[in-house]
Order: sequence, then structure tokens, then C-alpha cells
Amino acid sequence: MDLFLHYLAMPYLLQGIGFTVAVTALGLGGGLAAGLVLAAMQLSRFWPLAALARAYTIVFRGTPLILQLVFAYDALPLIGLKLSAIGAAGLALAANEAPFIAEILRSGVLGVDRGQVMAGQALGMTPAVLMRRVIAPQAIRTMVPALGNETVSALKNSSLASVIAVEELTLRSTQLASSTFDFFSIFFASGLMYLVLTGAVSLLQIAVERWLDLDRPSARSRVLRLLPGRRPVPATVPAALAPAPMAAGPDPVPAAPRPDRAKRAAAIRNNNPAVEVAGLTKRYGEQPILSSLDLTVRVGEVVALLGPSGSGKSTLLRCINRLETWQDGTVRVGGRRLGFRADGRPVGPRVLAEERADVGVGMVFQSFNLFGHLSALENVAGPLRWVHGLSRLDAERRARALLERVGLAHRADALPRHLSGGQQQRVAIARALAPNPSVLLLDEPTSALDPELVGEVLEVIRRLAVEDGLTMIISTHQVRFADEVADRVVILGGGAIAEEGPAHEVLRHPKNPLTARFLRAMSADRATELPA
Amino acid sequence: MVPASFRTAVVRARAASTVGLTAASALALACVAGTASSGPAAAAAAAMPAPPACQALQSRYPQFKGKTLVDAVNPHTPGYEALDPQDPSKYIGFDIDLAETIGDCLGFTLTYKPVTFAALLTTLSSGQADIVISDIYATEERAKAADFITYSKVFDGVLVAKSNPKKISGINASLCGTTAAENTGYVEIPLIQNLAPECKAQNKPAAEIQLYDNNANCIQAILAGRADTYINDVNTVDQAVKAYPDKLEKATAVTLPYSVGIAVPKDKPEFRDAVLAALTEIQKAGIETRLLEKWSLGAGTLDAPRLVMAK
Repeated sequence: MDLFLHYLAMPYLLQGIGFTVAVTALGLGGGLAAGLVLAAMQLSRFWPLAALARAYTIVFRGTPLILQLVFAYDALPLIGLKLSAIGAAGLALAANEAPFIAEILRSGVLGVDRGQVMAGQALGMTPAVLMRRVIAPQAIRTMVPALGNETVSALKNSSLASVIAVEELTLRSTQLASSTFDFFSIFFASGLMYLVLTGAVSLLQIAVERWLDLDRPSARSRVLRLLPGRRPVPATVPAALAPAPMAAGPDPVPAAPRPDRAKRAAAIRNNNPAVEVAGLTKRYGEQPILSSLDLTVRVGEVVALLGPSGSGKSTLLRCINRLETWQDGTVRVGGRRLGFRADGRPVGPRVLAEERADVGVGMVFQSFNLFGHLSALENVAGPLRWVHGLSRLDAERRARALLERVGLAHRADALPRHLSGGQQQRVAIARALAPNPSVLLLDEPTSALDPELVGEVLEVIRRLAVEDGLTMIISTHQVRFADEVADRVVILGGGAIAEEGPAHEVLRHPKNPLTARFLRAMSADRATELPA
Repeated sequence: MVPASFRTAVVRARAASTVGLTAASALALACVAGTASSGPAAAAAAAMPAPPACQALQSRYPQFKGKTLVDAVNPHTPGYEALDPQDPSKYIGFDIDLAETIGDCLGFTLTYKPVTFAALLTTLSSGQADIVISDIYATEERAKAADFITYSKVFDGVLVAKSNPKKISGINASLCGTTAAENTGYVEIPLIQNLAPECKAQNKPAAEIQLYDNNANCIQAILAGRADTYINDVNTVDQAVKAYPDKLEKATAVTLPYSVGIAVPKDKPEFRDAVLAALTEIQKAGIETRLLEKWSLGAGTLDAPRLVMAK
């Protein structure tokens, strides 16, 4: 025991820790930098870069670290690169860590909900903004445990640097054991030193995880929880109990009489086209999705897209916003072709993002796609700052006003996961409206909602149509809602327009037998009888 | 006969370079590691004063004067090279004193780089070290990787557990059916392996060999009952017996047909000649004999300087 304590306090061994930490730091720092490059290459759109990164990963993940150390130390000098022992060890460890860290980064990035990425694109975020504001903050949170693992493993792997004469803890321990014959006391002492180091890494990991935890309770409530017999009282009423200010209950809005339908239709007919789709054809492989589809939507018009699942409704909406590519045909929004240069060649993702922001096509998704790490307020205000360059103050003011409009001013600071589906969709609508879009595309906005939450969302949309005169294209299964809100109904079937016309006429007196069958099925399934 | 594990070491280094060269560009890309020096361990205890003839040598080989050279050692052999238990920042031992004396004679100073035994010559040929003085036997096989200058005869001791339960009496048929611990790259390995036909003729199993990295691990193998014997330089064996008098003993000593040598790079003939000349002067002045006495290595082991080079 005396010997153990003697070696535990021996400066020679304690200084060895310095080398161990230095090699680990070089390996991890270099590995992180190289891993970032590798991950970016693997996620790149250019396949040669991805292939190169893949080849590097195969070689350096597939060979033992000890060989890489010997190589960096003894073989590199033959080509004129003579690194110091620590330099060679740092290089080898970095080269070895890089593919592992790259895979952690890549899985973190790929693990971020694709819907949120699409929502960011629809909001006009460039790839860089998207990475910085949406993907990275969420990916980092999921990567912390894996990176903690990697740090501990690098720390232990640094002991292999003893084979190339780095004076780290393991080499010093073995030499000391050889000269003193105090084998076990020395290795117990150095083992304990390693444990202290890896323990410190674990503590650091816990601290970082806690710091990044979005649900971290405030300091005050933590103190309260520690007091005996005290439970923190929730600051706000649970979402389920909160009155939904604008919700109209399970039964959608009473059919507002719209005697001015004919007058309104006549007025719209004279408006400029907001969206012009001509000859749009899209296939996934051999599977046709849209075949030579034509559709014009005029400013102020509300068009409901109906049709069975797989009829191409969502694809059409995504094409209008250029979130999809297609084989043939043109799409114009406000007279402009989104995503094409004057000579007809497609633009890069950054320019496309800027054009989207410029043209102003808002999009609301079936599954809301709110940014999970941001509060309701930030979901609305953030894109205004990052894409449209509003000041923090202006962005927040506008975001609060919009949340107020959708009846969620009291939930401004809540995270999406703490909101009900209906509330999330209302935030998503506020987010889409924030940049004052010229067209709002809504892709089955109520399909993912529990029946009792449908009403509150439909009410918000109805008011946008009636009060704001916003141009909207809504794909929906809500026949009754379509009848009430839409000026025109377009029924898709097999990638083409089966029937279209004024909502009242098409829904009540379908001419196409396919349409009739679809509408009958909808009414039977959803028990949403049209008012007589 | 190629020492089996030495061959392994060379193959390993080759494999590493093949793997590496294919990815050399990628590696250079990832070359972000710093170049801070780890600084090989500090200089050793004071050596004997250099003989006067060294002045002449310094004028004949002025290019080494004032230089700091790197000596690769496998510092797990108390008596030859090991950490100073009183001050672990230093290496001490006969080889260290000899190296310092040669350095004094030619006017260079030395730093020491600790590596595994099997890596001694790889480290030298990669240029990470300038000289190897580390109780390494100058065999013809090893002379393919470096030039050797001999300085000491080889006497091996046979280390066994107390009272020699397996009755081992040397590198002979008494080893059949036993397990020997050896370090990777040691010359004793092929000598033990060569006993196999003899064992077979006597209807006994051949000796098994366990490979380790350093003396301490080999000694531990006997203490833990994993191995029956460890055959190595007699002084190393004596040190082990001194450290564990109740558990270990030296069964016998044997002479091996080798000499211990200083290894220098093959592509530096001037340096080789300078070291040879310096060693000759040091022996002539009786300094090596005094050093052998100082480390209780027995004056009879002194060997005249002789070059061992690849044929």
C-alpha cells in the first residue's frame, strides 16, 4: 500500500499524464477536424468526394491503430516527413479517430428529421443556414454521448503510443516496473490515474448533456425539488386543459354563408395568375406521379386539391415550391420560374433558396415539421432573421403578433414537443405566414391531427382565406371544409386532373364517375356529409 | 536461421508502409497534429572521462562534434539500461555509461528513446534514432538491417522458478515439453525452436514459446506460473533472482556464439568508423573493463571491437 501511494504521487508518473493528455488532445482535435471534412465529403453531392472519403474510411477504420502509429513514426520519415514522437502519435490517432468521428457526425446529421430540413428549405434557408440553425444544433445534442465514448476510447488508445517512444503514462509505468520490479503497485497506480482521467471525461459529458438539455428545469425549480415535501407547481396549465381560444370543437365551423360566391369568382377571374403549372410531368423511376398536368391559380384564389392517396397532391405542391425536381413542364410563381437560370439550366441549392425567399411561397406540412429545438416564438422569428434579415426586435414583434393571431400567444416559449398537434400546426401556419408569402401551400394540414384538434386548425385557415384574401392551395381530405373555404376544387386522379370547377358544383354534382366514386367514399369514410 | 519474431517485426513494418502509402495523400490531408517534441528521456549518470586519444578522433571526425544524437534503447534491462529507480527521469546502466563515454570521446551528446526490443532496428533505419546501444546481439540476420560493432561477449542465464521444478539444464533437450518466455525478436527463440527435432526423436513435445515485450513481462510470466523458464543475458537473470530471491533462481549459465553490438545505420560508414575507433580507444584505456566492474557484469565478457555486417 505504501508503495502504491509512493508511485501514485511520483512526479515521473504524474508528468506522464501530461503526454497522455497531449496525445489524446491532438488525436481528438485532429480527428474532429478531419472527421468534419470526411463527413462533409460523404454527404457531398459530388460522388468522387464521397468515394474518396469512403476509401479513406475503409483503410483507416480497417487497420489497427498500432500499425498506423508505427507507420507514422517509422515509415513517414522515408518520404521526408519526420515527425516527433508526439506529433506522429497525434497524427496516427487523429487519422484513426477521423472515420469514427465522421460516422458520428454523419449519423447525427442524417438523424435530424427530414421534415424539418424540408421545412427549412421551403422557408428559403440556404444549405449553410439550414446546417447552422436547424441541423447542427439538433445533431450535436444526439452526438454528445457518442463523442464522450470516443473521447474515453481515444484516451485509452493513447497508451498504444508507448510503442513509438511517447513518454506517456503506460510507457513510463512499464519502464519503471522493469527497473524497480514493483510490477503491481506501479500498474495499480497508473490504472487509477487512467480512471481519474476517464472519470473526468464522463463528468464533462454529463455536464455538457445537462447544459444542452432543452427541458432543463430552471435553477429555481431544481432547488424546490430538493426541498422535502415540495413539488414544483407547473408554471402553466397543461396543454390539454388549456382552452383553445379559437378551437371550434370537434364539429368544424358552422357553414358560413357565402352568398357572394359568384361575385367573388368573377373578381378572381380578372386577377393575375399567381401560380401557373404547364405540362408538368414527373416520374419516380418508371412510376408516373404527374402526367402533363396544367393548373393555373389566380391571385386571391383558394384552391382545394382533392383525390385519393397517391394521386400526386403532395408532389404537385412540392413541385410548385421546387422542393422536387421533375422531368418535363414548367412551373411559374408570380410569373417567375423558380430554380432555373435564364438559359433553362437548374441553379444550385443556395441560389434556389434565395429565390424561394424572394418569390415567397409559404408551405405548411402534414406533420407540422416545426424545428424541434426552438420555442414556438423562435420557430416563427428565427427564419425572419436568418433568411429575411429582420432585426431581433422586429422579428420577435412580428412573431408575437402572428402567434396572437393563431391564438397561441400564451405558448410562445413552449417547445414543439410540449404542444398539442393542433397547436403545433397553428405555429407552423404562423411560421409560413411570417414572411408574407404570395402563395401559401398547405399539404394535408389536418391529416395528422386527432379529430378533436382538426377544428382549431381549419378555423385558422378559413380566416386566412376569408379575411386576408390569401392565395392558397390546400390538399385535403376534408370535403366539407373544401366546399366551404375553396373557390375552386381540383380533383386529382392518377397524376392528372380528373375534374375541376367551382367547389359547390364539383362536390355536389360531379360529372366524372371517378370523382363521384371518390366523393362517395370520402363521405362514407369520414361521415362528413355535405349539407344539403 | 532467421529469428522468427524479428522477421515478424520487419514484416509488420512493411505491412504498415504498404497500407500507409496507398493512403499517404489522405493522411497528409489529415496531418493536423502538432510537432511538439516529446523529448526523449534525460541524459544518464556521469560517464568515465574520455581517453586523451579522443582529441585526435574529434579532429578526424569533426562532423559529430557538438551534435545531439538519439540512442534507441529498450530500457527494461537493469544493469544495462533501465530507469534510475531513485530518479526515474534518468536512464542508467552499463550500456548508457558506454554510450556516454563514446559520446564524450567523439564530442556529441546523447538523448535516449525508449522503444520495444523488436522496434530497436526499425527505429534506427527510419532515422528516428542515430545509434542503438541496448544489449542487442550482433547476429548476421540483424546485420541486414544495421551495421554492428561488437563490444561484449554473450553469456545467457536460464531463469527458472525456485528449485527448478522442471529440471531445466540449458538450451538442450531438458526444455522439451516446457514453456519458455522470451521477448519478441530475441535470438534465443530460434535456438529453442531448433530443439524440436531432438524432442521429437525422444518422443517428447517441443518447447512452447510465449512472446512478450520486455524483461519485466517475461519475469512476471514465470512468477505467475505461465512459463517455466526465461533464457536471457546472465546479468538480467541475476538481477531478477536478486529481486525475487524466494521465488526465482538461475538454473545455469550458457555461452552463446554471439557478441553484443552497437548498431549504426548502414548508410553512414563514417559514423560507423568513428564509433569503432572511439570504442577501440575506450577499451585500450581500460574504461570498458572498469564499467563492466562498476555494473558487476564480469570483466571476462569484454569483446574486442569487430564489425558485423551483412555479407
